[in-house]
Amino acid sequence: MIRAKLLIGLLLFTGLPAWAQNKLDINLIPANLLHNANAVVRNEETTIQVIEADNVEFHVKSVVTVFNRNGDPKVNINVFYDKISSIKYIKGFIYNEFGKVIQKINERDFDDYAASDGFSLYQDDRVKHYRKTSGQYPYTIELEYALKVRQSLYFPSWEPCEESNVAIEKSSFQFICDPGFNIRYKQDYLPGKANITTTREGKKAYSWNISNFAAWRDEPLSPPENQNKPRIILAPEAFAYEKYSGSFASWQQLGKWEFDNLLKNRTTLPDETANYIKSITAGISDPKLKAKKVYEYMQQKTHYISIQVGIGGLQPFKADEVDKDGYGDCKALVNYTKALLQAAGIDSWYCEVYGNSREKLSLIPDFPSIQGNHVILCLPFKNDTTWLECTDQQIPFGFLGDFTDDRNVLACTPEGGKLLHTPKYRTEQNLVTRKADFTLNEGGDLEGEMTTSFKGADYDDRYAIVEKAQSERLKDFKKYCQINNIDIKTLEYKLDKSLDPATFENVKLSAREYGAITDGKYYFSLNSVDRQSAGLKPITNRVNPVTINHGHTYEDRITYTLPAGWKLDSEPLNVAINQPFGSFSANVSVNNNQLVYVRKLQIKDGTYNKEVYSDLVDFYNAVVDADNYNVILVKK
Amino acid sequence: MRRILPTLIALLLFNFVATAQDFPYGKVDNDALAMKKYDKDTSAHAVVTNEYGSSHMGFDNDYRILITFMRHVKIKFFDNKEFENSGTIVEELYNANETSYEDITDVKAVTFYKDDNGNIQQAELDKSKIFRTRDSKHVSSVKFVLPALRSGCVVEFSYKITSPYTFNFKGWEFQSSIPKMRSVYEVHIPGFWEYNAALAGPLKLSFNTAKVERACFTYGGGGGVSGGASADCSDIVYGMTDVPAFIEEEYMTSSKNFKSAIQYQLVQETDLLSGVKTKYAKEWKDIDYFLKTYSEFGTQLKRTSLLKDRISPVIAGKTDELSKAKAVYSYINSTIKWNHRESVLSSDGLKQALENHAGTSGDINLNLVTALNAAGIPTEAVIISTRDHGIVNKLYPDLNSFNYVIAKANIGGQSYLLDGTDPLLPFGMLPLRCLNDQGRVFSMDKPSYWIDMNTGQREKTTTTVDLTLQSDGKLKGAVTRFSVGYSAYLKRTEIKKSNSPDEYLEHISAENHNIKVIKSQVSNIDSIDNPIIETLEVEVNPTDKMTDNRIGFSPFLLNQVKINPFKLAQRDFPVDRGMPSEDRYIITVHLPAEYTLENTTQPIAYGLPNQGGSFLTDFSADANTFTYSYITRINHSVFSPEEYPYLKELYNKIILAEKNELVFKKK
Repeated sequence: MIRAKLLIGLLLFTGLPAWAQNKLDINLIPANLLHNANAVVRNEETTIQVIEADNVEFHVKSVVTVFNRNGDPKVNINVFYDKISSIKYIKGFIYNEFGKVIQKINERDFDDYAASDGFSLYQDDRVKHYRKTSGQYPYTIELEYALKVRQSLYFPSWEPCEESNVAIEKSSFQFICDPGFNIRYKQDYLPGKANITTTREGKKAYSWNISNFAAWRDEPLSPPENQNKPRIILAPEAFAYEKYSGSFASWQQLGKWEFDNLLKNRTTLPDETANYIKSITAGISDPKLKAKKVYEYMQQKTHYISIQVGIGGLQPFKADEVDKDGYGDCKALVNYTKALLQAAGIDSWYCEVYGNSREKLSLIPDFPSIQGNHVILCLPFKNDTTWLECTDQQIPFGFLGDFTDDRNVLACTPEGGKLLHTPKYRTEQNLVTRKADFTLNEGGDLEGEMTTSFKGADYDDRYAIVEKAQSERLKDFKKYCQINNIDIKTLEYKLDKSLDPATFENVKLSAREYGAITDGKYYFSLNSVDRQSAGLKPITNRVNPVTINHGHTYEDRITYTLPAGWKLDSEPLNVAINQPFGSFSANVSVNNNQLVYVRKLQIKDGTYNKEVYSDLVDFYNAVVDADNYNVILVKK
Repeated sequence: MRRILPTLIALLLFNFVATAQDFPYGKVDNDALAMKKYDKDTSAHAVVTNEYGSSHMGFDNDYRILITFMRHVKIKFFDNKEFENSGTIVEELYNANETSYEDITDVKAVTFYKDDNGNIQQAELDKSKIFRTRDSKHVSSVKFVLPALRSGCVVEFSYKITSPYTFNFKGWEFQSSIPKMRSVYEVHIPGFWEYNAALAGPLKLSFNTAKVERACFTYGGGGGVSGGASADCSDIVYGMTDVPAFIEEEYMTSSKNFKSAIQYQLVQETDLLSGVKTKYAKEWKDIDYFLKTYSEFGTQLKRTSLLKDRISPVIAGKTDELSKAKAVYSYINSTIKWNHRESVLSSDGLKQALENHAGTSGDINLNLVTALNAAGIPTEAVIISTRDHGIVNKLYPDLNSFNYVIAKANIGGQSYLLDGTDPLLPFGMLPLRCLNDQGRVFSMDKPSYWIDMNTGQREKTTTTVDLTLQSDGKLKGAVTRFSVGYSAYLKRTEIKKSNSPDEYLEHISAENHNIKVIKSQVSNIDSIDNPIIETLEVEVNPTDKMTDNRIGFSPFLLNQVKINPFKLAQRDFPVDRGMPSEDRYIITVHLPAEYTLENTTQPIAYGLPNQGGSFLTDFSADANTFTYSYITRINHSVFSPEEYPYLKELYNKIILAEKNELVFKKK
């Protein structure tokens, strides 16, 4: 993945020129900022100064007061640097609650580590991690550091309020450059306009500030974090990046620059591979099926390894290298697949995207800049645009999943960049259908068979289990399954990797003592296959609107054959709820000795106003209630 | 748990013949290429067909001792599913300074595969794709990806690691996440060094040979060094065949306790020039002496004067030893924050940790021991191995098998085990990670000795519910939940993670769908020696409507188990929960005059063998009131695989009981 490289890990740490110490007394923090706050940014000044296109300085000064342990991460300082950025200095002080200096911070108080993003085999980033702290709360840390960076292609955004439970007393941001160095910027949720001035040295300075910003709470189902908080995003017009330079003012120009400088002439393949591709696709006339054949070839020949090295993690390895080594990161594998498709006479586009399963983060249409963290491939078939995720050896051709669906991406084509939108998995498409036939005997034991299909974005719900050895599958299935004492007789998976993919699961099982018999009553759980185990936590005074990223549909139908001589003692379940964000129905009917349970749950994606949240809590409570329905039988 | 102890293999075995040898590198192996599956484990995605390693002691160019470790592995990949796990090789290297470091050389790898046209091809590892990163000051790692992996391919790789560290002689893992057909390790050790070897894990060696090479190791003559020395060498081969893949199970302690591997510990070293023997760890008294005099341990424990000034205001006015000890304990754990690094030692010294307000477990707890001694409370240091780190080696003294230290304060004939890494831990309670088998107690004036890591602590909760049925079919009343002992610690940790007690209470409603919390209160959050008491005023909506306007009510209002945590048909490794637990629940329901109870529930009594635990329920009713209660007791910390089915059945009994409902009907 192209990691959107953070030049500064925590931009929030800024400091201030040594204030008169008593100004840091915690009693001076406005009372309204203490609510929900584990830490308060007393003052923060962030400056980016472009001295030349390949010489940019970052200057951060911050003063933060920490009230309790949950606020500690706020001063868990990490300063990232790499081959093209270096730390000029780091220094600071620790103050007690009265604003009296208790310690000095030097650069040697920082540990130096290789930065790890958790998945890369190799990357050339390093991190300085601060390890001193204070034993007593509250305490205040003042910190100041400067970085020198040899590129101006991308600047980190200024997001002063990105962390929950941290209040901001005062924070400012300044961007300084030559009058001739043009920038574009986009400001969100900030009061006032940029203040543009000329410095004494004749430089142009843009500045923004924010003050008295109360701490916010994390609320479930909130919109993507950075999309409703104050921020400034910046992009250069003309920039330098290592040996490259260029300029852009549109997605078209940015894509063109990337294509010409980073992608062109990297798709050459060895003749044997090119010829082999031609031979295996020769008999296929439909270009889509041809592409499928090529994609499956790529999948069995390569595997994903992330290596972030060289030009900022932006340029893919050459196709012939991947052909030889058999592995690559997302850029390398997309570029390789593009090369293979080219050999089969199929055109494709290298596309940058921000991949995230929890939040759909789209490239901002009216603000061209480097925004992605991942690369996918687009096949621009007429009226049938097809998308390929190239880092996975098992997924079907054309399957994107929830990591990259339904968002803007940048296609880098020879003609320039094109902003495209990936397809959306609709609520009705993301369908899990389950059908079970169970028989209960006189002693409470259960036996039966269950078949489930997973479609749309749910195709990969069983991904982790399907790929395992049968003995491990059985263990894992028991972890998913809510039926106690389950004994699995057979468990089979079938993967339909066609253009409309589906996973099928079939299990034959029995379970001792599924039902409990006491004092003339026979009890059993109605739903042990798809039970919503907990509701949503209620949020008093919610602030954020409600965002549901992906819609899903679940349909279950279970038939229980009851032991002879028993009848229903509880009232049959019958629930139906309809809301703008979803619907739920569950009902039980009894016909002779057959009890049929039908359940349908549908959650629709979208953004709803904040008042909807309490309806959603009630909705899920009703689902949990119904799912926990306990069937009670008595002797006829 | 003590059953699976390492088996000692005596080093100097004679009279065996045969020396294992490395198998040839880089030859096309048609049999392996043709293999379709591994017969002994048909579900394996890959198998190590052969693996050979060796360690030799020799010299570098400056006549310094150098141990050369070599590893050569051949893997057959049946499909592409093991590429990610077994296709990347990582080795960590340690460096003490510019002149003393481990190094890796001769890294090579070759993959044999059938190309698209079915012809056998080979691909070599490109040397430029061997990555080296400096992870931290003393550790770097070397990584490479096996080249051109394809389904069905056979890969060989090998490398050498040179090390000047005779105290860190490389061990060997016979078992890994994929099965191995053959795994052999050969060591070649001159008589100047003596090591203990320990075999961990349940598997037996398939072969083990040893021979003595006469006068194989000569030192001196070269490099202007006068004098000289010569010794015989032991050449020992350890081998296993048909090694199954190692698969972790839930609720087990460190996999190191169970994975088959061999480890070495330096016992004695003879100086090559003077012939003087240095004993490292023959007996505990040697280790005692070493620790007592070591700058990062014993020297630190002597620094009572450093702590005296700091703690005198803390203990001022306290008269008895226990309250002094408690004051010192809370001073240390609030003054020094744990940086989440585990250590037996205080490498930067006590003073540094006090000034930085941060440190390792060694920094904090050696400070604690010293501070308690400074306060006049006789306190010893206990070195231990945490649960993730594995069980300590008891066959011979081995400092390397410890990774953590705690304090043992002796007050009025009673001893208290203390860990100052978490301010939420009450005096005398240890975090779960420390509850692992035994620890070794050190003091400056007595020989060391073993103690059980048993603090008598347990998880304990008591919940009482009192409800009255209303005319609208709802129940109203109060829930009181006491979390005692370790349960209080866990609850406190959870509450402190929330940004406010209110935020914590929001969870209760989410977890218990049928309970509406009207008013709530949590007491004793900050008084860590006392139970946490949650008091809730609740409204309960019995979900199960019955025919004829009756109401079904499940007395298990809170804390339902619902899903058995133990799911396996059988288990290979013990279940280790660290400490006993007790969960009590009592519910009383008052019915209005117009209602009566239709049914009852039978009392249940289920006990585990060896008094390991029990589940008991009780029910009693009179005209308008009934009371239902249960107690779940788990008395042991560890359950053997033989006891596993009973433990599983205990949970089954709980779940069956949870299904029962009581039916209220109108008179």
